[in-house]
Amino acid sequence: MKTIKIVAVLIAMMWVSMGQVSIVRAGALLQDLENQLMCKCDDKCGKVLINCTCSTSDKTRAKFSKMLESGITVEQIVKMQVDEYGETVLSAPSKFGFNLTAWMTPFVALVAGGFGVRKVLQSWVGKKGDSDSVETPVAEPKVSEKYSKRLKDELDGIEL
Amino acid sequence: MNDIGEFTLLVALATALYGCVAYVMSARGNRIDLYLSADKTPFIVWACVTISSICLWKAFLTDDFSLQYVWAYSNIELDTFYKVSSFWGGQKGSLLFWTLLLTTYMLVVYFQNRKKNLRVVPYAMAVMLAIVVFFLFLINFSTNPFERIPLPPEDGRGLNPLLQNYWMVIHPPTLYLGYVGFTVPFAFAVAALISKNLDDSWIRLTRKWTLISWFFLCMGNLFGASWAYVELGWGGYWAWDPVENAAFMPLLIATAFLHSVMIQEKKDMMKVWNMSLILLTFAMTIFGTFITRSGLIQSVHTFDEATLGYYFLAFLFVIIAACSALIIARLPLLKSANELDSFLSRESSFLFNNLVLLGIAFATFWGTIFPIISEAVRGVKITVGPPFYNQVNVPIGLALLALIGIGPVIAWRRATLSNLKKNFLKPVTAGIIAAVALFPVIPLGNRAEIYTYVTFVLCVFVLTSILTEFYKGTVSRMGLHEESVVGALTTVTWRNKRRYGGYIVHIGVVLIFAGIAGSQAYGTHTEKHLKMGESFEIRGYTITYKKLVAIEATSIKTRIIAQLAVERDGKPYWTGHPEKEFYKGQNQPVSEVDVLSTWKEDLYMILADFREDESATIKVYVNPMVCWMWTGGWIIAFGTMNSMWPDRLEQRRRLDRVRKQEQLFPSPAQE
Repeated sequence: MKTIKIVAVLIAMMWVSMGQVSIVRAGALLQDLENQLMCKCDDKCGKVLINCTCSTSDKTRAKFSKMLESGITVEQIVKMQVDEYGETVLSAPSKFGFNLTAWMTPFVALVAGGFGVRKVLQSWVGKKGDSDSVETPVAEPKVSEKYSKRLKDELDGIEL
Repeated sequence: MNDIGEFTLLVALATALYGCVAYVMSARGNRIDLYLSADKTPFIVWACVTISSICLWKAFLTDDFSLQYVWAYSNIELDTFYKVSSFWGGQKGSLLFWTLLLTTYMLVVYFQNRKKNLRVVPYAMAVMLAIVVFFLFLINFSTNPFERIPLPPEDGRGLNPLLQNYWMVIHPPTLYLGYVGFTVPFAFAVAALISKNLDDSWIRLTRKWTLISWFFLCMGNLFGASWAYVELGWGGYWAWDPVENAAFMPLLIATAFLHSVMIQEKKDMMKVWNMSLILLTFAMTIFGTFITRSGLIQSVHTFDEATLGYYFLAFLFVIIAACSALIIARLPLLKSANELDSFLSRESSFLFNNLVLLGIAFATFWGTIFPIISEAVRGVKITVGPPFYNQVNVPIGLALLALIGIGPVIAWRRATLSNLKKNFLKPVTAGIIAAVALFPVIPLGNRAEIYTYVTFVLCVFVLTSILTEFYKGTVSRMGLHEESVVGALTTVTWRNKRRYGGYIVHIGVVLIFAGIAGSQAYGTHTEKHLKMGESFEIRGYTITYKKLVAIEATSIKTRIIAQLAVERDGKPYWTGHPEKEFYKGQNQPVSEVDVLSTWKEDLYMILADFREDESATIKVYVNPMVCWMWTGGWIIAFGTMNSMWPDRLEQRRRLDRVRKQEQLFPSPAQE
């Protein structure tokens, strides 16, 4: 109970801090933009803008900096880029429509797998229980119960 | 020489084809004459491929530009070091290099097993030879490295400047050794299915091969990350490029396999699952080559002349179809008495570990192929880049990290509440202390920082759980044999190589997790345009631009080097020399970064640009804890070596177990 309380307090503290802390970093907007877009150089380098070092990416960065300074928002710039190059300019699929399946499928698969593993484990444990019940001899007198408990306790303490 | 190289490739193909058929016929028809004849083929194939490779190397070293491949990937000025590595710089040579490694592995397997396991080995050799036939077919008839140019030019086009790095000599061979190595356990698994020898002997026979392949694949991935870090000049090491993903997926599946085979060895369970995992691992290695050589998915790693996609796709389809059919046909024999004592046991934790590892592999696979799916369904090609993988894989990766800590402290067979309490007390307490201690220190302003905080807490939990295991073993040994701490620790680790080697590998993995978390969340960078003598500050470092030097390194390479003096607390600390290299005939210059690496952080400098007035644009990154990742890699290497080292005690224990079993259950003949 005590541990649960500690964990609860910690979680509460985390959420409070998330609300309070808002560290604004220089260039964060540009960095955000660079993370969202791919480099569209002639070499088709296939890199996210933030990771690209080609001359086109340098020019693009400079252009975006000026656009941000002039008051255009990140979302507006992203939209302009999508209009110009199509969805392929985005570094990750959007989170609506068909593209949502890109985001959902891994987690759906994982959850389904989790249920599958649980079911398999239940059947294996159940099987062992069944076979144990078949093989278990008729109950021994009280003395063996005492020793069985002691044996069980000692076995529990052994790391194989 | 070139004619010899070309001819030996044809001989190798014919011999491999014959060997494959002869091995199968000898095993099916119990024909010793055919077996003896087939048994010569692995050596002949290896010898032919080796001769052919030597011929190609000679062509590179002697600047024989009559070969189109040598012309395309080398030139007279190229350093000898890189002429050797140019061999695998393009598609044609890399396929030959792959085949050379494959036949070399095959030869070692052949010498190891030629006089034993005669029911399984002929089929395993046949499978390996069949794979060799596929590669030799491609080399001979589709991408021949000995293709000539009618009028040989005087000089070659040269190797891509990005590939002129010492990692080019280390990274591709290491990765290939990993990829190719999985052919051996795959071949033995298929052989076990064909020959119906479906106990765990194929796992024991190939355990070391699996470990070796896993080790090389793991190192190959880390070396690739290291290469990207020092060569590509963007301050990062992993970009979730499709080809990086292709090397990452088999590593994950093989890791799942390495864990789940322990359950088969201990309890004779999960035979179908283990079979499926090794087949999937091999299929993923072929999928990786398909991505690199198809040009279907855009990647920085794709070969210029990526035209072999359909061959690999067909090969992949054949492998998956044939292996699935074999597994289905052998299902009755693969059935085992799957029984568990308790839901709470190490066996269960291994199943969840498998689930999480496969979950990450699937998410990575899904992200890699989603652009194709999108194009097929909507007619719109999209990009799936790092933001997707980071958002999807990081939470699953954290679950994996937690399981690394849970595994060692949860008992085999059945964990009870009392031993769970006892075993988890120290790791959980350490985790809580870390959580409280780090809370005021670590910023939690965004998702990345929260993930990092959770990662650090989990790292402490996992490390404590592993170190507790070492502590328990050492103390128990000290009590029994009156040994010193160091002596007891060494003996415990050496006498239980597999178990403690595994724990050491886990420590390495923890360091990698910590390094990734630290570098991703707390890194910073800045870019400044400076005149000589000007300075700027970044995270306590004062960086002064001193001068710019131009050096004609060779007739085709000019180096422009910036000298940057770094001060810390007003005292000289280091001098960085980032540079740009210009190669004749190349559009883009290559950045050569300079990095000062410490345990705390890397100071990473790039010469982004310079002008005629000798002013320069300098980009500086401060990347925390990157060094932890490389150290983690070396610890993984040490742990794997420890785990792989021949263990006579383990062999003796296994022999004793077999003898005891034979006494308990004598064979009908003995009765």
